[in-house]
Amino acid sequence: MRLLTLFISFLVFSLLIYWTLPNQKSRTVFLGLASLIFILLADKLAGRITAVLTVYTYFFSVLIENSKRKSFYHKLSVIGIVIVLAFFKYIGFLDAYIHNVTSFFMRMPEYPFEKIIVPLGLSYITFRYISYLTDIYWGINTKTAIYTLLFYGGLFTTFLSGPIDRFERLEKQISVFRINFSRDFVYEGFERITFGLFKKFVIADWTGYLINSISDTNDSFAVKVIALFGFSVQLYMDFAGYSDIAIGTSRLFGLRIMENFNSPYTKPNISQFWRNWHISLSDWIRDYVFFPLSKLSDKKIWLMVFVPVIAMGICGMWHGSEYKFAVWGMYHGAGLSVFQFWSLWKRKNKSLKKISETKWFNFLSVVFTFVFVTIGWVFFR
Amino acid sequence: MEEKLINFIKSEYLDGDDVEITRDTKLISSGLIDSFSLVSLQTYIEREFGKRIPAPKITAESFDTVGQMIEIINQF
Repeated sequence: MRLLTLFISFLVFSLLIYWTLPNQKSRTVFLGLASLIFILLADKLAGRITAVLTVYTYFFSVLIENSKRKSFYHKLSVIGIVIVLAFFKYIGFLDAYIHNVTSFFMRMPEYPFEKIIVPLGLSYITFRYISYLTDIYWGINTKTAIYTLLFYGGLFTTFLSGPIDRFERLEKQISVFRINFSRDFVYEGFERITFGLFKKFVIADWTGYLINSISDTNDSFAVKVIALFGFSVQLYMDFAGYSDIAIGTSRLFGLRIMENFNSPYTKPNISQFWRNWHISLSDWIRDYVFFPLSKLSDKKIWLMVFVPVIAMGICGMWHGSEYKFAVWGMYHGAGLSVFQFWSLWKRKNKSLKKISETKWFNFLSVVFTFVFVTIGWVFFR
Repeated sequence: MEEKLINFIKSEYLDGDDVEITRDTKLISSGLIDSFSLVSLQTYIEREFGKRIPAPKITAESFDTVGQMIEIINQF
């Protein structure tokens, strides 16, 4: 509740100042700093990490752009960010193992790693900065001013629940002299926020309440299945609702943040599901994990089995530090792998191809994909 | 470049199917090839034309036609 009050107060306060500033540069500086203050007030540690990571990323962006050892500095910068993410996200989970090893070898005093709490927004800002640095290395972006970087990494409307937008997209919008205020921003923004609130607080929360109450009174298999399908809807509405709120509040500042969901449960295969579910994360995994991994070998088994399973395993680990998230990711990776083999088979078999183009087959594919994804949510529950 | 790309797509993904591919034929959105093929297309472009196209530029939307591919290749 405290976070919600803080968010709303900050939104109103920053909107009032933002639109009175004379140009986009001063607005970017203001919104970057205001976001940092918001993060500091919400979570002091997250605020400090945001500040340090921004300076760190800026420093390496200069090195990557100007040095002849671009590849070295790029790798070093990404490793540093991954270490920060891994430390806060996974050290608590690994505590038991670390303690066993250290106490065995060194008789070290026990350190309460489990008390380390993952700072707010860390998963998002680290992935944003990795993409920023990699895009400079790949020649897609050039380095930007530190205040623009802070704006990109810490923008408070997207800091807590994404999307993980790309710098190139945002920069195009703010590199104009001034975004002129339009009433459309208010209409579009509030419309999207309303949709988001409805998805989150009406559909998701009520579905959650409903499935909890039936699960509490009945333990049968049928109820468990119904609860799982309910959870599938709840999870989607919850996350899509948050994304709508982030997109809508950003629209009030005249910004167009990337879409994160596009009716994912209506897609006929797992590949299309991932192109429409948490789009900003799946695009990130595709660009910065899937493609680079694919370059390591051109063996069919590597490309069709190992790469999707590893990439989706990483995607799963991003969601949380427990084993179950990695298993969930690998389950989807296995699904993608099977889909690739199926596509290959379909390509070679003309009659199968013909059948797969029929309407009823497409309908069954949508149902099958939805069931496959829903079964996967078992790991999330 | 156009001819080479079309020939590669036909031989690699369409297994000699009798499908006419032009500069503007929708490849991914029409289901002729799937988005996983983009990885091997990236490798082919790098090997054949010496252009390394970064992954964020190779999407199902931006690489949907041969014409779009050529446009992006020329940017690098």
